[in-house]
Amino acid sequence: MKVESRLFLSIGVFFFPVAGVYAFFSHAEPVGSAAIFLVGLLCMMIGGYFRLLSGRIDERPEDDELGEIDQGAGDQGVFSPWSWWPLVIAAAAALVFAGLAVGWWLSAIGGGLAVIGLTGWVFEFSRGQHTH
Amino acid sequence: MAAPHTAPHVSVNRPNPVSVGTIVWLASELMFFAGLFAMYFTLRSTVPAEWAAQTGKLNVTYAAINTLVLVLSSVTCQMGVWAAERFQPVRTGSILAVRTWGMNEWMTLTYVMGAIFIGGQVFEYASLAHDGLTISTSPYGSVFFLTTGFHGLHVIGGLIAFLFLLGRSFTAKRFGHHEATTAIVVSYYWHFVDVVWIALFIVIYLLK
Repeated sequence: MKVESRLFLSIGVFFFPVAGVYAFFSHAEPVGSAAIFLVGLLCMMIGGYFRLLSGRIDERPEDDELGEIDQGAGDQGVFSPWSWWPLVIAAAAALVFAGLAVGWWLSAIGGGLAVIGLTGWVFEFSRGQHTH
Repeated sequence: MAAPHTAPHVSVNRPNPVSVGTIVWLASELMFFAGLFAMYFTLRSTVPAEWAAQTGKLNVTYAAINTLVLVLSSVTCQMGVWAAERFQPVRTGSILAVRTWGMNEWMTLTYVMGAIFIGGQVFEYASLAHDGLTISTSPYGSVFFLTTGFHGLHVIGGLIAFLFLLGRSFTAKRFGHHEATTAIVVSYYWHFVDVVWIALFIVIYLLK
Protein backbone atom coordinates (compact mmCIF):
# COMPACT_ATOMS: atom_id res chain seq x y z
CA MET A 1 0.00 0.00 0.00
CA LYS A 2 2.99 2.33 0.41
CA VAL A 3 3.22 3.22 -3.29
CA GLU A 4 -0.48 4.18 -3.48
CA SER A 5 -0.16 6.15 -0.25
CA ARG A 6 2.91 8.11 -1.44
CA LEU A 7 1.28 8.77 -4.82
CA PHE A 8 -1.83 10.40 -3.33
CA LEU A 9 0.03 12.20 -0.52
CA SER A 10 2.56 13.77 -2.92
CA ILE A 11 -0.19 14.92 -5.30
CA GLY A 12 -2.00 16.38 -2.27
CA VAL A 13 1.10 18.21 -1.05
CA PHE A 14 1.57 19.62 -4.58
CA PHE A 15 -1.84 21.35 -4.52
CA PHE A 16 -1.31 23.40 -1.32
CA PRO A 17 1.41 25.70 -2.74
CA VAL A 18 -0.53 25.77 -6.03
CA ALA A 19 -3.56 27.10 -4.14
CA GLY A 20 -1.33 29.76 -2.55
CA VAL A 21 0.16 30.78 -5.91
CA TYR A 22 -3.33 30.91 -7.47
CA ALA A 23 -4.70 33.00 -4.59
CA PHE A 24 -1.73 35.40 -4.86
CA PHE A 25 -1.95 36.00 -8.61
CA SER A 26 -5.77 36.12 -8.70
CA HIS A 27 -5.91 38.55 -5.71
CA ALA A 28 -7.63 35.93 -3.52
CA GLU A 29 -10.35 34.96 -6.00
CA PRO A 30 -12.44 32.71 -3.71
CA VAL A 31 -13.77 29.90 -5.97
CA GLY A 32 -10.44 28.65 -7.32
CA SER A 33 -8.53 29.26 -4.09
CA ALA A 34 -11.02 27.21 -2.04
CA ALA A 35 -11.39 24.50 -4.70
CA ILE A 36 -7.64 23.97 -5.31
CA PHE A 37 -6.95 23.88 -1.56
CA LEU A 38 -9.69 21.28 -1.08
CA VAL A 39 -8.37 19.20 -4.03
CA GLY A 40 -5.18 18.99 -1.95
CA LEU A 41 -7.23 17.80 1.05
CA LEU A 42 -9.08 15.30 -1.19
CA CYS A 43 -5.76 13.66 -2.16
CA MET A 44 -4.40 13.84 1.41
CA MET A 45 -7.55 12.13 2.66
CA ILE A 46 -7.14 9.13 0.32
CA GLY A 47 -3.34 9.02 0.76
CA GLY A 48 -3.65 9.28 4.54
CA TYR A 49 -6.16 6.44 4.61
CA PHE A 50 -3.88 4.24 2.49
CA ARG A 51 -1.02 5.05 4.84
CA LEU A 52 -3.15 3.96 7.80
CA LEU A 53 -4.06 0.74 5.95
CA SER A 54 -0.45 -0.04 5.03
CA GLY A 55 0.35 -0.15 8.74
CA ARG A 56 -2.62 -2.43 9.48
CA ILE A 57 -2.25 -5.11 6.80
CA ASP A 58 0.63 -7.30 5.68
CA GLU A 59 2.52 -6.73 2.45
CA ARG A 60 0.32 -7.70 -0.48
CA PRO A 61 1.64 -9.79 -3.40
CA GLU A 62 1.57 -6.65 -5.58
CA ASP A 63 3.90 -4.91 -3.08
CA ASP A 64 6.52 -7.59 -3.79
CA GLU A 65 8.55 -6.73 -6.90
CA LEU A 66 9.08 -10.41 -7.61
CA GLY A 67 5.48 -11.34 -6.76
CA GLU A 68 3.60 -13.85 -8.91
CA ILE A 69 -0.01 -13.51 -10.05
CA ASP A 70 -1.06 -16.72 -8.28
CA GLN A 71 0.11 -15.35 -4.91
CA GLY A 72 -2.95 -13.11 -5.03
CA ALA A 73 -5.29 -16.12 -5.23
CA GLY A 74 -7.85 -16.60 -2.49
CA ASP A 75 -10.32 -14.36 -0.69
CA GLN A 76 -10.65 -11.00 -2.48
CA GLY A 77 -13.58 -9.63 -0.47
CA VAL A 78 -17.34 -10.00 -0.49
CA PHE A 79 -19.08 -9.17 -3.77
CA SER A 80 -22.69 -9.44 -4.76
CA PRO A 81 -23.00 -11.87 -7.72
CA TRP A 82 -26.05 -9.99 -9.05
CA SER A 83 -28.90 -7.90 -7.70
CA TRP A 84 -32.13 -6.38 -8.99
CA TRP A 85 -32.27 -3.75 -6.24
CA PRO A 86 -29.98 -1.12 -7.84
CA LEU A 87 -32.41 -1.15 -10.78
CA VAL A 88 -35.33 -0.42 -8.42
CA ILE A 89 -33.35 2.44 -6.83
CA ALA A 90 -32.46 3.82 -10.27
CA ALA A 91 -36.13 3.71 -11.30
CA ALA A 92 -37.05 5.50 -8.06
CA ALA A 93 -34.45 8.23 -8.70
CA ALA A 94 -35.74 8.61 -12.27
CA LEU A 95 -39.31 9.07 -10.94
CA VAL A 96 -38.17 11.63 -8.33
CA PHE A 97 -36.45 13.76 -10.97
CA ALA A 98 -39.22 13.27 -13.55
CA GLY A 99 -41.47 14.65 -10.80
CA LEU A 100 -39.61 17.97 -10.99
CA ALA A 101 -40.86 18.33 -14.58
CA VAL A 102 -44.26 16.60 -14.32
CA GLY A 103 -45.49 17.37 -10.82
CA TRP A 104 -44.57 16.79 -7.19
CA TRP A 105 -46.98 13.85 -6.82
CA LEU A 106 -44.67 11.78 -9.07
CA SER A 107 -41.68 12.59 -6.82
CA ALA A 108 -43.67 11.31 -3.83
CA ILE A 109 -44.24 7.97 -5.61
CA GLY A 110 -40.54 7.87 -6.48
CA GLY A 111 -39.68 8.55 -2.82
CA GLY A 112 -41.82 5.62 -1.70
CA LEU A 113 -40.20 3.35 -4.27
CA ALA A 114 -36.76 4.54 -3.11
CA VAL A 115 -37.54 3.43 0.45
CA ILE A 116 -38.54 -0.03 -0.84
CA GLY A 117 -35.47 -0.26 -3.10
CA LEU A 118 -32.97 0.89 -0.46
CA THR A 119 -34.41 -1.43 2.19
CA GLY A 120 -34.33 -4.37 -0.19
CA TRP A 121 -30.76 -3.56 -1.23
CA VAL A 122 -29.40 -3.08 2.29
CA PHE A 123 -31.01 -6.26 3.64
CA GLU A 124 -30.40 -8.45 0.56
CA PHE A 125 -27.58 -10.37 2.27
CA SER A 126 -29.24 -10.46 5.70
CA ARG A 127 -32.41 -12.40 4.86
CA GLY A 128 -33.83 -15.24 2.78
CA GLN A 129 -31.17 -17.79 1.79
CA HIS A 130 -28.49 -15.41 3.12
CA THR A 131 -29.86 -15.32 6.69
CA HIS A 132 -26.94 -15.60 9.06
CA MET B 1 12.87 -13.95 -3.94
CA ALA B 2 9.50 -15.02 -5.27
CA ALA B 3 10.13 -18.75 -5.21
CA PRO B 4 9.36 -19.44 -1.50
CA HIS B 5 5.97 -17.67 -1.83
CA THR B 6 4.61 -19.44 -4.89
CA ALA B 7 2.38 -21.84 -2.93
CA PRO B 8 -1.18 -20.43 -3.25
CA HIS B 9 -2.47 -18.71 -0.12
CA VAL B 10 -5.78 -19.73 1.36
CA SER B 11 -6.57 -16.11 2.09
CA VAL B 12 -4.69 -12.88 1.49
CA ASN B 13 -4.77 -9.97 3.89
CA ARG B 14 -5.97 -7.13 1.70
CA PRO B 15 -7.74 -3.81 2.21
CA ASN B 16 -11.50 -4.09 2.52
CA PRO B 17 -12.89 -2.79 -0.80
CA VAL B 18 -16.01 -1.41 0.93
CA SER B 19 -13.91 0.77 3.25
CA VAL B 20 -11.60 2.00 0.46
CA GLY B 21 -14.60 2.74 -1.77
CA THR B 22 -16.28 4.70 1.03
CA ILE B 23 -13.16 6.82 1.60
CA VAL B 24 -12.78 7.58 -2.12
CA TRP B 25 -16.47 8.53 -2.32
CA LEU B 26 -16.14 10.74 0.78
CA ALA B 27 -13.15 12.47 -0.86
CA SER B 28 -15.46 13.35 -3.76
CA GLU B 29 -18.04 14.59 -1.22
CA LEU B 30 -15.35 16.99 -0.06
CA MET B 31 -15.50 18.60 -3.50
CA PHE B 32 -19.28 18.97 -3.16
CA PHE B 33 -18.67 21.00 -0.01
CA ALA B 34 -15.83 22.82 -1.83
CA GLY B 35 -18.52 24.19 -4.13
CA LEU B 36 -20.55 25.40 -1.14
CA PHE B 37 -17.52 27.04 0.48
CA ALA B 38 -16.61 28.68 -2.84
CA MET B 39 -20.16 30.05 -3.11
CA TYR B 40 -20.05 31.36 0.46
CA PHE B 41 -16.69 33.13 0.05
CA THR B 42 -17.64 34.56 -3.35
CA LEU B 43 -20.77 36.25 -2.02
CA ARG B 44 -18.94 37.41 1.07
CA SER B 45 -16.33 39.18 -1.05
CA THR B 46 -18.88 40.74 -3.44
CA VAL B 47 -21.54 41.91 -0.93
CA PRO B 48 -19.68 42.39 2.39
CA ALA B 49 -22.35 44.84 3.58
CA GLU B 50 -24.81 41.94 3.74
CA TRP B 51 -22.56 40.14 6.21
CA ALA B 52 -22.25 43.23 8.40
CA ALA B 53 -26.05 43.57 8.45
CA GLN B 54 -27.10 39.94 8.93
CA THR B 55 -24.49 38.01 10.94
CA GLY B 56 -25.64 39.70 14.17
CA LYS B 57 -28.80 37.57 13.97
CA LEU B 58 -26.77 34.38 14.57
CA ASN B 59 -26.84 32.90 18.07
CA VAL B 60 -23.25 31.67 18.33
CA THR B 61 -23.61 30.16 21.83
CA TYR B 62 -26.65 28.12 20.77
CA ALA B 63 -24.86 26.88 17.63
CA ALA B 64 -21.75 26.05 19.67
CA ILE B 65 -23.77 23.81 22.03
CA ASN B 66 -25.38 22.13 19.02
CA THR B 67 -21.89 21.64 17.52
CA LEU B 68 -20.70 20.06 20.77
CA VAL B 69 -23.55 17.51 20.57
CA LEU B 70 -22.50 16.55 17.03
CA VAL B 71 -18.81 16.29 17.97
CA LEU B 72 -19.62 14.10 20.98
CA SER B 73 -21.81 11.90 18.75
CA SER B 74 -18.65 11.11 16.75
CA VAL B 75 -17.09 9.84 20.00
CA THR B 76 -20.06 7.59 20.79
CA CYS B 77 -20.04 6.40 17.16
CA GLN B 78 -16.40 5.37 17.51
CA MET B 79 -17.22 3.47 20.72
CA GLY B 80 -19.85 1.64 18.66
CA VAL B 81 -17.26 0.80 16.00
CA TRP B 82 -14.92 -0.67 18.61
CA ALA B 83 -17.81 -2.79 19.92
CA ALA B 84 -18.55 -3.91 16.33
CA GLU B 85 -14.88 -4.83 15.85
CA ARG B 86 -15.22 -7.03 18.96
CA PHE B 87 -18.30 -8.52 17.19
CA GLN B 88 -20.41 -7.47 20.16
CA PRO B 89 -23.88 -6.27 19.08
CA VAL B 90 -25.58 -6.04 22.50
CA ARG B 91 -24.58 -5.08 26.02
CA THR B 92 -23.45 -7.78 28.44
CA GLY B 93 -24.50 -5.98 31.63
CA SER B 94 -27.09 -3.50 32.80
CA ILE B 95 -27.99 -0.59 30.52
CA LEU B 96 -26.37 1.71 33.10
CA ALA B 97 -23.07 -0.19 32.83
CA VAL B 98 -21.81 1.83 29.87
CA ARG B 99 -18.56 -0.14 29.63
CA THR B 100 -20.44 -3.31 28.72
CA TRP B 101 -22.38 -1.66 25.89
CA GLY B 102 -22.44 -3.29 22.49
CA MET B 103 -22.71 -1.68 19.09
CA ASN B 104 -26.52 -1.35 19.17
CA GLU B 105 -26.51 0.76 22.34
CA TRP B 106 -23.69 3.04 21.17
CA MET B 107 -25.16 3.55 17.71
CA THR B 108 -28.63 4.24 19.15
CA LEU B 109 -27.11 6.92 21.39
CA THR B 110 -25.28 8.35 18.36
CA TYR B 111 -28.57 8.40 16.45
CA VAL B 112 -30.30 10.28 19.27
CA MET B 113 -27.49 12.85 19.43
CA GLY B 114 -27.58 13.34 15.65
CA ALA B 115 -31.35 13.80 15.87
CA ILE B 116 -30.87 16.40 18.64
CA PHE B 117 -28.46 18.27 16.33
CA ILE B 118 -31.06 18.30 13.52
CA GLY B 119 -33.79 19.35 15.95
CA GLY B 120 -31.54 22.16 17.18
CA GLN B 121 -30.99 23.28 13.61
CA VAL B 122 -34.75 23.34 12.96
CA PHE B 123 -35.25 25.64 15.99
CA GLU B 124 -32.35 27.82 14.81
CA TYR B 125 -33.88 28.12 11.32
CA ALA B 126 -37.25 28.98 12.86
CA SER B 127 -35.77 31.75 15.01
CA LEU B 128 -33.82 33.17 12.05
CA ALA B 129 -36.98 33.17 9.92
CA HIS B 130 -38.71 34.96 12.80
CA ASP B 131 -35.96 37.62 12.62
CA GLY B 132 -36.66 38.03 8.90
CA LEU B 133 -33.79 35.94 7.50
CA THR B 134 -34.86 33.25 5.03
CA ILE B 135 -33.31 31.66 1.96
CA SER B 136 -34.99 34.23 -0.31
CA THR B 137 -34.71 37.47 1.71
CA SER B 138 -31.02 38.19 1.20
CA PRO B 139 -27.82 36.83 -0.41
CA TYR B 140 -26.56 36.08 3.10
CA GLY B 141 -29.71 34.06 3.83
CA SER B 142 -29.24 32.12 0.59
CA VAL B 143 -25.68 31.01 1.34
CA PHE B 144 -26.36 30.45 5.05
CA PHE B 145 -29.31 28.13 4.43
CA LEU B 146 -27.70 26.42 1.42
CA THR B 147 -24.45 25.57 3.25
CA THR B 148 -25.95 24.58 6.61
CA GLY B 149 -28.99 23.01 4.89
CA PHE B 150 -26.96 20.74 2.61
CA HIS B 151 -24.91 19.74 5.62
CA GLY B 152 -28.11 19.05 7.55
CA LEU B 153 -29.34 16.84 4.69
CA HIS B 154 -26.08 14.89 4.97
CA VAL B 155 -26.67 14.43 8.70
CA ILE B 156 -30.20 13.16 7.95
CA GLY B 157 -28.66 10.76 5.41
CA GLY B 158 -26.35 9.56 8.17
CA LEU B 159 -29.31 9.03 10.50
CA ILE B 160 -30.98 6.86 7.83
CA ALA B 161 -27.70 4.94 7.48
CA PHE B 162 -27.68 4.32 11.26
CA LEU B 163 -31.23 2.89 11.00
CA PHE B 164 -30.09 0.50 8.25
CA LEU B 165 -27.00 -0.41 10.28
CA LEU B 166 -29.12 -1.21 13.36
CA GLY B 167 -31.55 -3.11 11.10
CA ARG B 168 -28.73 -5.28 9.77
CA SER B 169 -27.45 -5.84 13.29
CA PHE B 170 -30.91 -6.87 14.58
CA THR B 171 -31.49 -9.17 11.57
CA ALA B 172 -28.21 -11.03 12.01
CA LYS B 173 -28.25 -14.03 14.35
CA ARG B 174 -24.46 -14.10 14.13
CA PHE B 175 -22.93 -10.63 14.17
CA GLY B 176 -19.99 -10.96 11.78
CA HIS B 177 -17.79 -9.15 9.27
CA HIS B 178 -20.81 -8.14 7.18
CA GLU B 179 -22.29 -6.11 10.06
CA ALA B 180 -18.92 -4.87 11.37
CA THR B 181 -17.97 -3.53 7.92
CA THR B 182 -21.30 -1.68 7.74
CA ALA B 183 -20.62 -0.12 11.16
CA ILE B 184 -17.12 0.95 10.12
CA VAL B 185 -18.13 2.62 6.85
CA VAL B 186 -21.13 4.36 8.43
CA SER B 187 -18.73 5.71 11.07
CA TYR B 188 -16.39 6.99 8.32
CA TYR B 189 -19.32 8.91 6.86
CA TRP B 190 -20.39 10.23 10.26
CA HIS B 191 -16.87 11.44 11.16
CA PHE B 192 -16.58 13.09 7.75
CA VAL B 193 -19.89 14.95 8.13
CA ASP B 194 -18.78 15.97 11.63
CA VAL B 195 -15.44 17.38 10.40
CA VAL B 196 -17.21 19.26 7.60
CA TRP B 197 -19.54 20.80 10.20
CA ILE B 198 -16.57 21.97 12.30
CA ALA B 199 -15.19 23.73 9.20
CA LEU B 200 -18.62 25.24 8.44
CA PHE B 201 -19.07 26.32 12.05
CA ILE B 202 -15.69 28.09 12.09
CA VAL B 203 -16.35 29.83 8.77
CA ILE B 204 -19.98 30.82 9.37
CA TYR B 205 -20.18 31.45 13.12
CA LEU B 206 -16.65 32.37 14.20
CA LEU B 207 -15.07 34.17 11.23
CA LYS B 208 -18.40 35.64 10.05
